[in-house]
Amino acid sequence: MTIPSTHLLIQTIILGLLVGGVYALMSSGLTLIFGVMRVINVAHGAFLVLGSYLTYWLFQLLGLDPLLSILLTAPILFVVGWVVQRYVLSRLENPERSSVLVTFALAITMEGLMGVFWKTTLRSVKPDYANEVIKFATYRLPLTRLIGFGSALLVLFILYLILQRTNLGRAIRATIQDRNAAQLVGVNVQMVSALTFGIGIATAAAGGSLLSMIYSFNASSQTDWITRVLSVIVLGGMGSLPGALIASLILGVMEQLTAIVITLYWSPIVFYIALFFILIVRPQGLLGEIVREKA
Amino acid sequence: MKRLLRSNRLWLMIGLILLLAFPLVQHSQYYQHVMIMTMMAAVLSSSWNILGGYAGYTSLGHAAFFGLGGYLVAWTHNQYGWHPFISTWFLAIIVFAVALILGWISLRTHGSAFVVVTIAMVFIFRLVALNLPDITNGARGLTQDRPGWGGVYWSPEIIKVPFHYIMLLLLCLTVFISWRIQKSKFGLGLIAIREDEGKAEAVGINTMLYKVLAFGISAYFIGVAGGIYSYFFTYIDPQFIFNVFTGVTMVLIALLGGRGTLWGPVLGAFIMEPLENWLVGEFGGTQIHLAVFGSILLAVMLFMPQGILPTLSELIEQRVKARAAQSNV
Repeated sequence: MTIPSTHLLIQTIILGLLVGGVYALMSSGLTLIFGVMRVINVAHGAFLVLGSYLTYWLFQLLGLDPLLSILLTAPILFVVGWVVQRYVLSRLENPERSSVLVTFALAITMEGLMGVFWKTTLRSVKPDYANEVIKFATYRLPLTRLIGFGSALLVLFILYLILQRTNLGRAIRATIQDRNAAQLVGVNVQMVSALTFGIGIATAAAGGSLLSMIYSFNASSQTDWITRVLSVIVLGGMGSLPGALIASLILGVMEQLTAIVITLYWSPIVFYIALFFILIVRPQGLLGEIVREKA
Repeated sequence: MKRLLRSNRLWLMIGLILLLAFPLVQHSQYYQHVMIMTMMAAVLSSSWNILGGYAGYTSLGHAAFFGLGGYLVAWTHNQYGWHPFISTWFLAIIVFAVALILGWISLRTHGSAFVVVTIAMVFIFRLVALNLPDITNGARGLTQDRPGWGGVYWSPEIIKVPFHYIMLLLLCLTVFISWRIQKSKFGLGLIAIREDEGKAEAVGINTMLYKVLAFGISAYFIGVAGGIYSYFFTYIDPQFIFNVFTGVTMVLIALLGGRGTLWGPVLGAFIMEPLENWLVGEFGGTQIHLAVFGSILLAVMLFMPQGILPTLSELIEQRVKARAAQSNV
């Protein structure tokens, strides 16, 4: 246990907030998917790593900047997500009960395949500006994290516009509020589900592209990411977008603080404890409703 | 003769004799190894089935108890020289007690939330094991002395044999307890909880007590298996033993064979475990077996959600009915 100086404390909180922004982007898709179809997509982390690998490829083979590659990875994974929902998840008779196992199976299948294709070497994408640091007063802000944070906010804003301003967005929100009522007023719930899943996976891909600059990754990183994003949406309240945003920032900061106050090795405990106890003590999280499920 | 072939007791005896004779007939170290791992998988999955099958609570976190059993046995063996073959049965009582507490906490959640909580449980155990180097030796893991008895090491040619028989003993015990539970009022209560927990509560079942007990019992045998496993390999480390994948394998095996049935998990183990060993042998340590396991799990969930045994018995029933209908005409 070490008590950090104020300067270090503020520096840590800033870094936590920057990472938290990217967490928010990654978990927005997960919470949206849960809201619309009550499916906990455990494969979210695997899709994220797939996004990272695509970014890595585009960078290595074509020299494409990770930020620009979002324009490719997001649409590609949107299609993948749409297909998965349309042809796999929609076949389940009781999605609320079996979706976790099915998406878990999907996650380990993807992890295995990615491990076979890309081996286990840890990769990261290092554009020219990878090691640049911006000094703000006496604080040091790594450029990639700033960019990650900014792009995450931008994508989140686009997502917000889609949800608020388009017909699809209205249909999604209606389905989240009341699936049956939405169907009654003419929303094609099947279609909305498939599109939402696509959008959710696309945000995971965007998050994966950004993370590929910040952290190194391999196929088995998916477990780290899924626990992080799961604990974010559990803390925020499953299905709540603002909840996910707040929870991301909280957990991002908590993680960094644990790393300097105790040790780096203990920092993941923040996520595990959040997952374990919040579901038990306060299943609705910060801003969500209580998830009612048949036992 | 036909009646004799139909009797379960006969098949049970044949199976038992085959397993008893196995190491005497089959001298290949490789096949002996595969058989021990297969029986262990059957133990793990049958034990998981007491909670996951009968009571319908899907835990992906039972690897936590496997690892806990392993560490308790390895640590007491190194520290006090307790022989794992004896100590594991008693140390698993600690695993049982820990599971009662964790069950009492985590069984407040249902459905998907419970699954997520149990996943988090494994990660917490692993992180603690990684970060308590004084007891667990951290990421480097714990090494034990070579297997033996009374100061004499077992020679490499016969080293698998004692493990074969102790695992067989554990398997028989696990299946026996699972059978007793299935036939008991306790087991009926668990099934009632699976079908409709609210109604089970309404007819006077103390659902919390039942669930927590099922959680503890299912952890006990897994803890014993973990203890034997740690001695078998004489080495454990947190990354390997506290692995969500171990938990997934238990679930997959039970789902494949028939979740909630007595013999389903055993059947599933005898299919999956040899398959895994073959995959690892054929393709080496690549992650291909992850992909294969994942796709089999996907396929089972999508196309045969009940598992092999219930699907088979349904088919047989249909045939019998069809025949009866024909003979009536």
